[in-house]
Amino acid sequence: MDFIMYLVLFSMILGFVVIASNPSPFFGALGLVVLAGMGCGILSWHGGSFLSLVLFLIYLGGMLVVFAYSAALAADPFPESLGSRWVLISGVIYLVGVVVVSSLVCGDWYEVIWVVMDELVDFSVMRGDMGGVALMYSWGGGMLILSGGALLLTLFVVLELTRGQSRGALRSI
Amino acid sequence: MTPTHFAFSSAFILGLTGLAFHRSHLLSALICLEAMMVSLFIALSLWTMQLNSTNFSASPLLLLAFSACEASMGLPSLVATARTHGSDQIRNLNLLQC
Repeated sequence: MDFIMYLVLFSMILGFVVIASNPSPFFGALGLVVLAGMGCGILSWHGGSFLSLVLFLIYLGGMLVVFAYSAALAADPFPESLGSRWVLISGVIYLVGVVVVSSLVCGDWYEVIWVVMDELVDFSVMRGDMGGVALMYSWGGGMLILSGGALLLTLFVVLELTRGQSRGALRSI
Repeated sequence: MTPTHFAFSSAFILGLTGLAFHRSHLLSALICLEAMMVSLFIALSLWTMQLNSTNFSASPLLLLAFSACEASMGLPSLVATARTHGSDQIRNLNLLQC
């Protein structure tokens, strides 16, 4: 089963290479979907079922928004796809760079790596990350209120940025 | 260093180089920022899971909340740029006046 984990890690790297090699935003959003799915696989392999669920759901919703924006605002008549020239060249350069660095450090890899959380606990119905996330409502209440306040502040800043042509914080010249 | 640690570290570096070098759209820069936040999320949750310190499992969720703040700051600035400059090409942002 280690091969599946190596495959998932390599697919995540491949998604990052797709993003970093400057294609059109459609293909960048596609790469982000790929790496969110592969990150979900990594986290669920290590035993964090709730965290992987949260990652996948939130990034799927976020990617829906980014797809809508890229279809609306960044619509090129000739989009740079993944097989376009400079995209392909820079992607191959990034991938070769990652492979070279990993071949430099792979002699020191500590191989007993696939540590699954709560592996030795018998009859555990609830995984540890669910219990840890539930602690946010008791001991982490201050941070919960702080992040909720940050989201509320973000709402007002978004309203101020996109208010209109003549009255907002950012107006046309 | 384990392969998982190497994977998310190199993923962060890849996102950073993609943000730094030759962006043509502003939206691709925002996508690179989100990808860096995904790698940070994976790193933080792997920290709690590999060390079995599950009391800290709430910290990736708080990181995700702040990254949602960041992403929702980026998209209105994209909209405002498209209003004032006509498109979201970064090349157009160098112009003094349209």
